[in-house]
Amino acid sequence: MGARIEAVSALTSHGLRKPSARKLADAAARACLAHSGRKPGDIDMLINAGIYREDNMGEPALAAIVQEDIGANLGHPPVGGHGTFSFDLLNGTCGVLSAIQLEAGMLRSGLIRLGAIVTSDVHPDLKDHGSAPFRPAGGTLLLGWDDSIPGFTDFHTETFPEYEDLFTSGLVWQGRRRQSHMVVDAKPGYHARLADCAEEATRRFLRGVGLDIGQVDLFVPAPSAPEFLDRLRLRLGVPGDRVAYVAEDLEGSYTTGPIAALQAAVKSGRLGEARNTVLLAAGAGITVALALYRQ
Amino acid sequence: MAETQNGRQAEQWLALESPGSNGFGGCRIESVGVKLPSRRLTTRDLMSRTRHRTRIQLERLTGIHERHVVGPGENSFTLAAGAARDCLAHSQHQAADIEMLVSTSITRSRSGMMQSFEPPLSLYVKQAIGATHAVNFDLSNACAGMLTGVFVLADLVSRGEIGCGMVVSGEYISHLSWNSARQIRSLFSKQLASLTLGDAGAAVIVERAPDGAPGIDVVGFTTLAEHSRLCLAFPSTVGPGAQMYTKSRQLQKVAIEGVAPLVAEAVGEAGVDLSDIDYFIPHQTSARAIRAGTQEFVRQLGAKPKHMVVNLEEYGNTSSTTLFLALHKYLEEQRMHKGDRVMLLAVASGVEIGMAIFTLDSQVDHYGRTH
Repeated sequence: MGARIEAVSALTSHGLRKPSARKLADAAARACLAHSGRKPGDIDMLINAGIYREDNMGEPALAAIVQEDIGANLGHPPVGGHGTFSFDLLNGTCGVLSAIQLEAGMLRSGLIRLGAIVTSDVHPDLKDHGSAPFRPAGGTLLLGWDDSIPGFTDFHTETFPEYEDLFTSGLVWQGRRRQSHMVVDAKPGYHARLADCAEEATRRFLRGVGLDIGQVDLFVPAPSAPEFLDRLRLRLGVPGDRVAYVAEDLEGSYTTGPIAALQAAVKSGRLGEARNTVLLAAGAGITVALALYRQ
Repeated sequence: MAETQNGRQAEQWLALESPGSNGFGGCRIESVGVKLPSRRLTTRDLMSRTRHRTRIQLERLTGIHERHVVGPGENSFTLAAGAARDCLAHSQHQAADIEMLVSTSITRSRSGMMQSFEPPLSLYVKQAIGATHAVNFDLSNACAGMLTGVFVLADLVSRGEIGCGMVVSGEYISHLSWNSARQIRSLFSKQLASLTLGDAGAAVIVERAPDGAPGIDVVGFTTLAEHSRLCLAFPSTVGPGAQMYTKSRQLQKVAIEGVAPLVAEAVGEAGVDLSDIDYFIPHQTSARAIRAGTQEFVRQLGAKPKHMVVNLEEYGNTSSTTLFLALHKYLEEQRMHKGDRVMLLAVASGVEIGMAIFTLDSQVDHYGRTH
């Protein structure tokens, strides 16, 4: 028995008149709930793992606003009622995997029965999408409990701080323009180093869980950048048919990357067929997060 | 109440973690550390520097006489790292023992960046203190951030997934006060609450409680999201940092109405009465608001805790660190003793309501004159 992927949904800003992180997360959450047949009020915990938003809002947690927008257990607590707890988690491309680790654990301890993880990113300067290092996208993943499968069994996270300066981002005050400006600094060779670190961490992880590369039926990787993914796949010796490649319109999505890759695996039917699936995400830090999903 | 497939009660408004109640082990808060900037700013001084003549009697209104504010070279990171080191100095653990480190400040300023997004601040903190093998991530939940971190770690520790974790926060938020001072005109401004803020770092270690030792009885949270937009903070357009807009009266009304039934739920889960709580530490906003809120839920619940902790006079509202700053102060002053039961109450933008009830044990020996 274990935490099971109930539904996934990832989408781009296509169709949204004014794309925003809030709207993308809301739309993905609604689509995911519709796929699963679940009601918003079923969600016990809602974690937002998205980072870049149009207004750089510092508080409240964007998760609370998404909770309100989708109508998950609003209002005051009546006696014997049922609530939703929402907060944001920030760990770049690895945020979804960190959130899965927390919710899978809380499903195991019985603290929650249904967990939702939402993501979305837009460039803070909405007029400047062209310069953003990612494509605006939103995603949602629903996790439930299943007595019949092992589900998420193992997690592993490693950081390589010797490469912490290869990718940095943040707000810098510009006195002349009287506003804070987003600065993203990606050094040359960042994706290649990501792949090297991911290979190292993956080999350690698989040794720890007692699996060979060949026993992994499906890899679900993020980011989707070829400079990362092709290099990682070759170094690990994973055939292309064992990799979940994201749909073309979701290539370059940021914190949504792991959900977009999962959606591709679900839609192709390969997630359902795989006994051992490894989710892998690599991002700033350099941080590499891995999870083993068994069924 | 319905039972889940994993054997827990389902129909609770709070997501309630009560370690030890579900076949898992108990956990406890092992140590608390703080980092306060040495520079202080009195309310009188702050209010003398508003651009417009406001006639606001802020000290009388809030009970805040002064707050600590950062000096040159200090920021969210230095406050967080300083607090983490202080926490370790009061702990039996070494940095290398920490298996997970969660940074929970709303502000993440570091070396020239007013707000850093990537890599997460937790990476820099764990490197600074030598917790190099800890899994790290940042968590953001307004003023409830640190208690949310404790909630998350309590679940991991109780299940045995980790043995020891640290929650840390460095709040450099006094820039909101300066930005508010440039704009505020009257008592009715939505930026009034920004004038109550002070800077501080805090850290806490959560570990597996030794067999038979007291620890966390219950920790729980919920989000009353119908009111998610009552307090919003964005980057400022008048100066470096942020500005915050708070509908204070509505927020207080929602909090007062929401807190009473949730406190009853948490106290019931812990199997105690409110009058069994020795020290009640609410989120520190203003002395008047705390008194009004407490009176109301004491009236509704028909009982009151033995001591109410208010430390606004010297620190102001230090955002996500308030609860642990207050806990640390009382431990250092040796007001708390083994066996004392403490209740923390977080109320934050969202509207987030969270609480923890725990019993103190040998931690008290590591603070105060004997340390």
